[in-house]
Amino acid sequence: MNIIETKKLTKYYGKSLGIIDVDLTVEEGEIFGFIGPNGAGKSTTIRTLLGLIHPTSGSATIFGKDVTKFGPEINEEIGYLPSEVFYYDDMRAIDLLRYSGSFYKKDPKAIASRIKGLANLLDLDLNKKIDDLSYGNKKKVGIIQGLLHEPKLIILDEPTGGLDPLMQQRFFDLLRAENKKGATILFSSHILNEVQKLCNRVAIIKDGRIIKVEKISSLAENTHKRFKLETAVKVDKSRFTGLKGVSDLVITDKSVNFLYRGRINDVTKIIASLNLTNMLVEEPDLEEIFMHYYK
Amino acid sequence: MNIYFQELRFYRRVTLIWMAVFAVGIFGYMSLFTAFTSDVSATLKLLEGFPPVVRAALGIRLETFFTIFGFFGYMLTYLWLVGAIQAMNLGTGILAKEISGKTADFLLSKPVSRTKVLASKLLATLTLLLATNIVFVSAAYFSARVFTTTTFSFRSFVLVASTVFVVQLFFLALGYLISVIVPKIKSVLAFSLPVVFGFFIVGLLDSVIGSEAIRYVTPFKYFDIQYILDHGSYDWKYVITEAVVVIVCITATYLIYLRKDIQAGA
Repeated sequence: MNIIETKKLTKYYGKSLGIIDVDLTVEEGEIFGFIGPNGAGKSTTIRTLLGLIHPTSGSATIFGKDVTKFGPEINEEIGYLPSEVFYYDDMRAIDLLRYSGSFYKKDPKAIASRIKGLANLLDLDLNKKIDDLSYGNKKKVGIIQGLLHEPKLIILDEPTGGLDPLMQQRFFDLLRAENKKGATILFSSHILNEVQKLCNRVAIIKDGRIIKVEKISSLAENTHKRFKLETAVKVDKSRFTGLKGVSDLVITDKSVNFLYRGRINDVTKIIASLNLTNMLVEEPDLEEIFMHYYK
Repeated sequence: MNIYFQELRFYRRVTLIWMAVFAVGIFGYMSLFTAFTSDVSATLKLLEGFPPVVRAALGIRLETFFTIFGFFGYMLTYLWLVGAIQAMNLGTGILAKEISGKTADFLLSKPVSRTKVLASKLLATLTLLLATNIVFVSAAYFSARVFTTTTFSFRSFVLVASTVFVVQLFFLALGYLISVIVPKIKSVLAFSLPVVFGFFIVGLLDSVIGSEAIRYVTPFKYFDIQYILDHGSYDWKYVITEAVVVIVCITATYLIYLRKDIQAGA
């Protein structure tokens, strides 16, 4: 069964860019990644799914129900964590979470014990005022708020900002556990690495359009690496132009800079023959992938 | 009902302050009644010295000024003004605070319809205003009893004092409408004060110009104490005018709020 299905979903905001003809299907039990640079339309898509904004045209269904007609009913089974969390400042964390829980039909006792369990796991002091919490701790309140009713669909909009690596790890473990219990997850991010860690499939959005939906495994195979070499003397261009998979090659007096996609062995052989002073190999950021791969 | 109770909790403190302002204010003012009426002729002379236009603008009528209703009525204009600010703050703030505080995402991604959100908030604001007025009318009646020796009609007194609530309803509804039209309200007072004082000034002009038509425009001119005392009721022309304004404002608020896009916290 498709948990989320959008057909030609389109949203214009006057002049500014929205989304155009977004077709997405997220199947039950998937962890579906949604990546794209900032402003590409990730949040717009998610906010339309949640009924926060209204589509200009096209349609979207969640659990087979139209989001514009059955919003409250659908939201009963959704947990949403926005990229920036803002809550009523003069409330304590526990008050906010109880208030959040009071919207759902679920047994209040079950919700209360779930709040406690999650707070323990994430190491959050529930008695503090939200105003006094750090950004990362506010985020934890957001995570608990999104998961306390054990939703069937978890929607995360760039959720990891502000979490330290340890917490991020626990958070990802938590998401995997929820997924095992049957929850479907839509995970939006502009960090490729995050999505690769967690997701089965991924949709790539750029300038409001979905440009590719891929299995994460095939995306990884296609991944480019960025090589940054510092050399003692200027390297002749011909050393690299002969190698297949090299692009965006820039050579200056003391550096070589290029993107590479192919067998690592082939490129290291060439590099080994150079007089290097330093070397850096990194994952290209998403922007670079878009520029060189998804043109 | 969870939103309703939560909103009451949010506004508990500020409403208690408004209650205190009304109660202490009216008690303090009424306590002057004895001193004021002890030397009628001297006060009368002082007031006669004012130009008639100024007296009219201030709402002073010499023939009724020394009765409890006249004295109370003189203050009433300012009670309306204070009440209007309270109501306008509530109406403008209660939806807008979710946008300016960026909590709208939280609230509206819960399993709750916008109709229910608006209804809960409307009910909460009405409750808060009603509670304020119960305190105010009680304090006013109590102090009137304490500081006068003559008897007066309980019904008329409550009717006169309740005009504050009716004026508040006008500004509450208007506040709601403003809050869904203006994209982002950072300071509630920046909207409520100019609007309330705008209507108030229009009301002052009426006394100077003497135009009847202008009375329909501003709720500060809907109620005339002499009329209420004579007829034992409000002037229906204006009550209906206000009802129309309130219904139009709330209906428009509902229709706009239902369709409104909640933008990401930017």
